[in-house]
Amino acid sequence: MQVLDFSKNYFELFDLEPGFVVDKTRLHNNQQMLQSACHPDRYVNASDQDKRLSLQQASLINEAYQTLSSPVKRARYLLELNGLELNDETETTSDMTFLMEQLELREQLDDCPNQPDPLASCEQIEGKLKFRAQQLADEFVENFEAGKFELARMISRKMQFIHRIQEQLHELQFKLEDELA
Amino acid sequence: MSLLQIAEPGQSTAPHQHRLSAGIDLGTTNSLVATVRSGEAKALADSQGQVLLPSIVHFGAAQTLVGIAAQAKQSIDPLNTLSSIKRLMGRGVEDIKQLGDVLPYDFSNDNSESKVPRIKTAGGEVSAVEVSAEILKSLARRAEDSLGGDLSGVVITVPAYFDDAQRQATRDAATLAGLNVFRLLNEPTAAAVAYGLDQQNDGLIAVYDLGGGTFDISILRLNKGVFEVLATGGDSSLGGDDMDHAIAEWILSQADFKQMDASLSRQLMTAARRAKEYLTENDTAPIEIQYGDLNWQGNLSRAQFDELVQALVKKTISACRRAIRDAGVDKTEIVEVVMVGGSTRVPLVNELVGEFFGKKPMSDLDPDQVVAIGAAIQADILAGNKPDATMLLLDVLPLSLGIETMGGLSEKIISRNTAIPVARAQEFTTFKDGQTSMAIHVVQGERELVSDCRSLARFELRGFPPMTAGSARIRVTYQVDADGLMSVIAEEKTSGVTADIIVKPSYGLTDGEIETMLRASMEHARDDIAARMQKEQQVEARRVVEAIDSALASDGKLLLTATELEAIKKARDGLESQIEIASTDELKQAIKLVEKTSETYVAKRMNASVKQVLEGRQIDEVYIK
Repeated sequence: MQVLDFSKNYFELFDLEPGFVVDKTRLHNNQQMLQSACHPDRYVNASDQDKRLSLQQASLINEAYQTLSSPVKRARYLLELNGLELNDETETTSDMTFLMEQLELREQLDDCPNQPDPLASCEQIEGKLKFRAQQLADEFVENFEAGKFELARMISRKMQFIHRIQEQLHELQFKLEDELA
Repeated sequence: MSLLQIAEPGQSTAPHQHRLSAGIDLGTTNSLVATVRSGEAKALADSQGQVLLPSIVHFGAAQTLVGIAAQAKQSIDPLNTLSSIKRLMGRGVEDIKQLGDVLPYDFSNDNSESKVPRIKTAGGEVSAVEVSAEILKSLARRAEDSLGGDLSGVVITVPAYFDDAQRQATRDAATLAGLNVFRLLNEPTAAAVAYGLDQQNDGLIAVYDLGGGTFDISILRLNKGVFEVLATGGDSSLGGDDMDHAIAEWILSQADFKQMDASLSRQLMTAARRAKEYLTENDTAPIEIQYGDLNWQGNLSRAQFDELVQALVKKTISACRRAIRDAGVDKTEIVEVVMVGGSTRVPLVNELVGEFFGKKPMSDLDPDQVVAIGAAIQADILAGNKPDATMLLLDVLPLSLGIETMGGLSEKIISRNTAIPVARAQEFTTFKDGQTSMAIHVVQGERELVSDCRSLARFELRGFPPMTAGSARIRVTYQVDADGLMSVIAEEKTSGVTADIIVKPSYGLTDGEIETMLRASMEHARDDIAARMQKEQQVEARRVVEAIDSALASDGKLLLTATELEAIKKARDGLESQIEIASTDELKQAIKLVEKTSETYVAKRMNASVKQVLEGRQIDEVYIK
């Protein structure tokens, strides 16, 4: 039994306004509603064909949900919907100020374990990164809504950089907490 | 024989009929089965009133014993009595070397063909899958005796941290035991279901599951009957067994045993387990070992025991910390901590878990039974007995899936804690002119180097059309289903050719091996017969098509009118198109149709040949094949 229309985009799938700002509660609720109808657990006794279809639909819902839940992925998905080709491998940023900022953040991160209170230093950087992520998100919205897709793409690239440092920070925090325990 | 009247499980049952189902907890130390009766989920006891079935199988020359009967053989016949076999599920020959002192069995050295370790016993060589199948059979029989009918299907629980190979091995064991598996369910998720936490409060919960040989931690969000796993972590070879081992080592360091053998080792482990259990309620455990003319007596205090297992418990706390981070939540948001598994009875475990989460852990339900009960509730719903149930379990992939790239590095395709089912596609191209095949090595784990990850399988993609280097576009889709099991689909996009995939599981059984085991099992004889009958009918159909073709080529136009010729061709084409897809019976019908349509033709050929013979030709020259 097919529930989903595979030609719909992720926003349409969850009945959301397409845009960077999403109603998270609505996204979460609609995701669970769709999974309730499509999940393989609902098709345990169905034909092989229906089982396969259920698997495909549930996989699509998960993929769509994951994309729209993450600001970085959401931004890039929006650009794709607007016809921009994104290629992680070849894309770089040539914004020197941003590159310097990157370098500085990484140095600070590497230095955290040597600080008198490593976890506090981590938290400080965490706050900084959060602020930067929000700034970039705002910039993205501004440019995207004005139809300046090329600029928006460059910002999405920066969002990805910040996100990667955030991940590294979390890994470091876990390690430090583990050592201290 | 009325082979075709046997209904498939799950089909052709009246809608109002209650379909029998069960939840099975296949544990390292103990296994058990539960079912829902009159709306209540309960663990089922055997005829002796025992709920827990020791996960021990004795393979004697004359018979196979499971459970308590096998346990009785453990000290007298240790090499033919297999326990803690869950630790070998989905594991390779290399892995067992590390487990050598925990599992002192006589492993077969003849592993030239199979990657699966086999243990020599008086009852023949067995793999972990076969041992587990014996346990599953015993539990299924218990459920069927108790419920008075055949099970339509079961839910079998696995540690959340089980990798693909371990899950596949569990599924294989169920296939071998002749069970229809509705779903493999993660143990912590099953426990959350059993507690019915969804009905009381929405919010975040943590399930801490320390069993005999595995440890899991899952962070779940509950929302109106939906159990959404946010993150899971653990160690699939860490559990109560290791605590026993630590105590046994301590005894060895205290006592002066001159020699060591399987029987003494078994006795030490048993004494260690007793001491551990005793220390749950008492401050000091007396230990006595009598072996031959050796006699050792000693006392193990709670404080000494705590020290022995401290590192192990801390390891589990570290996994909790990571899971909370991965879930992206704050420890203070967790409203309930649920304790599962027999090893959570150890006071130090309770103490450290409570300390870490900052709240008293919940253990209202029997930690040994809670997983099976949750599985039974899920099985009852999946069997279709509760059409109005809104319960939904959304789980995650415990370990990242990646593929090997240049330089032996793992490139992550699907990262850990991604909601399942999930599918990810990747595109490759050829690097040589005319290349028609490609090899892909899939691994599971978080480490950078492939050699530090777990090898799952090597796929060889074959049969895509030869093109110039770089122009082929091979799309490989990795699909993880709701059981957490992976499959791979590959397609060459410019030509639309689906590549043949040859899977070489790194540790699991190949389809061929499973087939061989199945053949050995009488219970599955009927499936084999059905498959063979279909094969035979396909061979027959191909033979008929060939015979018609060669006949038509020699004298079709000569002997037949245009209408007759067309009718025969139509029947022939109809038969050919059905060879691969039709059932045995449909094929039989199609063959009959061809034979009937060509009746007159055959008669005409007979006449023609008779005529030729009369004209002095040799009979073997005109014989109708």
